[in-house]
Amino acid sequence: MSHGTVILRPEKLEVHGIVKRFPGGRRRPEVTAVDGIDLTVRSGELVCIVGASGCGKSTLLNIIGGLESPTEGLVAVDGERVIGPGPDRGMIFQGYSLFPWKTVAQNIAFGLEELGWPREKRRERVAELVGVMGLEAWADRIPKELSGGMRQRVAIARALAPEPDVMLLDEPFGALDAQTKRVMQDHLLEVWRTTGATILMVTHDVEEAVYLASRVYVLTSHPGRVAAEVPVPFAPGDRVPALKRDPAFLDLRDQVQDLLLDQVRL
Amino acid sequence: MRLRRRTGRVMDRDDRGGGWAPVADAPQDAGPDGDHVIDWRNSLAAKRAPTRGTPQHELLRIREDISTRWRATLIATGLVLLAGLWLFMATGSSSDLLVPSPSETWGGAMRLYDDGVLFGDIWASVRRILFGYAISMAIAVVLGILMGSFRSADSLFESPIAFMRYIPATALVPLMLFWLGIDELPKITLIVIGSVFFNILMVADVARNVPKELINAAYTLGAGRLKVLRRVVLPHSLPGIIDVARINLAAAWAILVVAELLAAEEGLAFRIARAQRFRQIDEMFALLIIFGIIGIITDLSLRWLRNRSAPWARA
Ligand SMILES: Nc1ncnc2c1ncn2[C@@H]1O[C@H](COP(=O)(O)OP(=O)(O)O)[C@@H](O)[C@H]1O
Ligand SMILES: [Mg+2]
Repeated sequence: MSHGTVILRPEKLEVHGIVKRFPGGRRRPEVTAVDGIDLTVRSGELVCIVGASGCGKSTLLNIIGGLESPTEGLVAVDGERVIGPGPDRGMIFQGYSLFPWKTVAQNIAFGLEELGWPREKRRERVAELVGVMGLEAWADRIPKELSGGMRQRVAIARALAPEPDVMLLDEPFGALDAQTKRVMQDHLLEVWRTTGATILMVTHDVEEAVYLASRVYVLTSHPGRVAAEVPVPFAPGDRVPALKRDPAFLDLRDQVQDLLLDQVRL
Repeated sequence: MRLRRRTGRVMDRDDRGGGWAPVADAPQDAGPDGDHVIDWRNSLAAKRAPTRGTPQHELLRIREDISTRWRATLIATGLVLLAGLWLFMATGSSSDLLVPSPSETWGGAMRLYDDGVLFGDIWASVRRILFGYAISMAIAVVLGILMGSFRSADSLFESPIAFMRYIPATALVPLMLFWLGIDELPKITLIVIGSVFFNILMVADVARNVPKELINAAYTLGAGRLKVLRRVVLPHSLPGIIDVARINLAAAWAILVVAELLAAEEGLAFRIARAQRFRQIDEMFALLIIFGIIGIITDLSLRWLRNRSAPWARA
């Protein structure tokens, strides 16, 4: 590098001024789903986005994943501009979107095959993830034989398999019952701690966001903008189920809840 | 109407019309006494209680299973009805053979067999269908998957195919015979033309129904577009494609029959035309039944293939 140039080390994930407008039709007005969102996720961080239903969370995540292109703004991972989807950004969708004709093991191996991993290495990696996710007994079953919680574990394992730089989760536990959801939250924390993955997760559940994330972005509704960025001071080691009864936790949760409630207009 | 609950409490209709209320002055320890008090502890008596809700007969429930016994009975009834109709018509016209009886039909089949043409005719027709329909499905899978996956391909092919689909394939028979002669080529071409446009549009519909999320999941796992077509769209569409093939196969037979009636030296429909010329109605009936049997066999095989190749898509 020539002298005088200041090199700013980019964060793991940078999202700058993302605007997404869906063009209208003859009878439909144009929809601005997302209107100027900036956010960053540092390496190894777990960040949550909360927002009311329809405020553009999925749209934003799809743009980061490269599945949709923004009307304005840019997304960068490790300082490289995102222009399309890739295995460096593992995604977990609102539905589980597992391949219904593939077994659990084959679903997990999908990305590894695309990356051209040799069979032996693939087998090892799949076995490892099947173990981490507690899916040993289910490896040769197909998705329709699995419960919702199991399916979500497979989806997480499948996204983790190619060791992505960033994991993008779109309301991953939204369809689960309350008990399963709590188990899955702790499971996600464990995965996060053991793999050191960088995770950006969308949810509409404020308690979940405060329990999991080190920072929470609160979005406005229609169109989505960042209303607030709330740091969550609890250490990773504190994030155990008992935390949900801690007064400091409840206080912060209510604070975020109020921020979100201000956004809800019917 | 008074009821006695299992607890022994005697209840009656609430004055305000809202359900049941305990009757204060009823003899709470009395046994079953008369019609108006029902003892819930006595199952025979409980059956006399007033009822709520409308029961549905097993055979008349929307989208519910019926017992295997009923199913077998009804299937047998359907077959018996068909056979009965045939017998009824046969006995009404026995002398002049307008409608041959089953045994006369069997005799017709035997005559075809003894003449040594039966299996040759079956094979001639089946072979044409196999060739023509395989070509038709191959074209339909490629074009249908493209049209169902790419809006551009859809826009390009949609209007020409819609136009071609509305030209009755039977109307093309004379033209094809004129262009391609009377050999196998025009017949196979006609089978293709008579089925391929339906097949393409229906396969496109099947491909359009692949969930977008599965495609997106594959993209984020590193698959390119060709890989998505091969590893997601195609396998997800497979059971639907087999169903399309099964449903439109009848159209292929229909056009083949027309072609064979007009120009052929062997084949089931050619044999029917011949039988007509010699007024051998029994042979005609035998040949018609063979069409039905071939149809049922292929239908069942394709169902089996669908369930076998895509157990994940079974209901
Ligand atoms: N393809 C699309 N075309 C038009 N409008 C869309 C499209 N996708 C999403 N929208 C609109 O954008 C807004 C945000 O949608 P979405 O990102 O799914 O919200 P969320 O995930 O927060 O519930 C909604 O109002 C939705 O109707
Ligand atoms: Mg959403």
